[in-house]
Amino acid sequence: MNLAHIHLLLNHVPIIGTLITLGVFLVAVIAGHDDMKQVSLALFSLIAILAIPTYVSGSGAQQALNESSKVSMSVIEAHQGAALLAFIFMEITGAVSLAGLLRFSRTVKNPWTSGPARVTLLAVLLLACATSGLMAVAGNTGGNIRHPEILSGQEATSSIGAVGVELMMTVHHFVIDSSMWVWPILEDLHFLGLILLLGSIGVLNLRILGFLKQLPIAPLHRFIPWGIAGFAVNVITGFLFYLGMPDFYILNIVFQLKIFTIVLAGTTLLVFYCTSAFRSLEHIGPGEDAPPFAKFIAASSIVLWLAIIVLGRYIPFGEVT
Amino acid sequence: MAVPLIFKTIEESGISSWIRDSPSFFAYWFILSFHALGMGLLVGASVVVDLRVLGVARELPLSPLKGLYRIIWTGFWIQVASGLLLLVAYPTKALTNPDFYLKLLLIALAVVFMQRLRKRVFDDSSLSEPEMMSKGKALAMWSLVCWAGAVTAGRLLAYTYYYLKYDYRG
Repeated sequence: MNLAHIHLLLNHVPIIGTLITLGVFLVAVIAGHDDMKQVSLALFSLIAILAIPTYVSGSGAQQALNESSKVSMSVIEAHQGAALLAFIFMEITGAVSLAGLLRFSRTVKNPWTSGPARVTLLAVLLLACATSGLMAVAGNTGGNIRHPEILSGQEATSSIGAVGVELMMTVHHFVIDSSMWVWPILEDLHFLGLILLLGSIGVLNLRILGFLKQLPIAPLHRFIPWGIAGFAVNVITGFLFYLGMPDFYILNIVFQLKIFTIVLAGTTLLVFYCTSAFRSLEHIGPGEDAPPFAKFIAASSIVLWLAIIVLGRYIPFGEVT
Repeated sequence: MAVPLIFKTIEESGISSWIRDSPSFFAYWFILSFHALGMGLLVGASVVVDLRVLGVARELPLSPLKGLYRIIWTGFWIQVASGLLLLVAYPTKALTNPDFYLKLLLIALAVVFMQRLRKRVFDDSSLSEPEMMSKGKALAMWSLVCWAGAVTAGRLLAYTYYYLKYDYRG
């Protein structure tokens, strides 16, 4: 198995997943079904997390192709460019969905009809439409790579793909060539993001495990947005590292493990702490014990985030030479 | 200014060159990983205390957060141990770089602010919660500033050194 297999396995998730979720979301908005709105936002955020390994494995698939076949470079480039734009829009859709989820799933009174909630839902709707369109282009140009029989001349290149390639070059240039201080500053931000994430997620998890037992659990969720902000900083800075030195990361096994672990930890964070699916936890007051399942999730979450820090530090160790 | 010869002696010792040059999984990157984990515990727990004192999660009772000081000190000692090992590996690199002393200064200040916060705010049980917050506000702010500065100074050590080793200029 190589990264091409993983890419082929994952690439349908953002494309079809976004479309299906958009459908569910539309029904939820039209029918005024609040639980469905919540599920749709959670799904958009989840797809945004899964889009990370999808995008990253694509570069690996490209390397596998370069070695073995006679696919034209322009077809691959069109796909790469379109995929970059689709990925960026997917991440923004996921981030806005997550912000909405955090803000409106956790209030007791029905907040989904409030002004800010309507604006958020509209923003998610527009972003998800744009993402779906870009995903369609990414999927189409990607299909062209392996199915030249569907190619009809000018389709081989895509104007959206060209914009994406242009953007990729610009970002690469900014990260690598514009100043020797860009990389260190991004690293610094990556560390500060890590601290916010670990601190805020960690204190909630420790409480669930029974440490700091005099604290009630519900107000600890106020720290989660700070953790999410740290996570967002790290996704952005991490992606900039990747665009700066893709060849350093693509085949690096430690990097691949780190991405895999981020998907696990990110999914836990999303489902467990950002939806109201496990709301029973919030009635746990000072001195009370959390249920065993919650403790299991909390312990896994701490272990996963610490593992991500260690794996991040070991990436240079896994460098392919 | 001449670089003290003792740095060369340290660098030529077995443990120093092992940490620096060994391809082992448990050498340089292992210690560096602990330094990152310790940072996460030390600064992460401090930031949570500071944010609460500054008014984030107001519904959360403040005084039990004193328990986080155990994590802060655990992180601190992990940093001292892993930091000393890294210093043994690269004494010239660290000790000839002003940024290294800036980092130590900022850490010292941050720790002093955190300890003052503990003494003045958490150890005084006569204070009401609003009193705790108003008394701790400046300390929490300054501790955040110093932690961010210490992390930044630490990160920049990899980019600002003059000598990598006693015999090599960077």
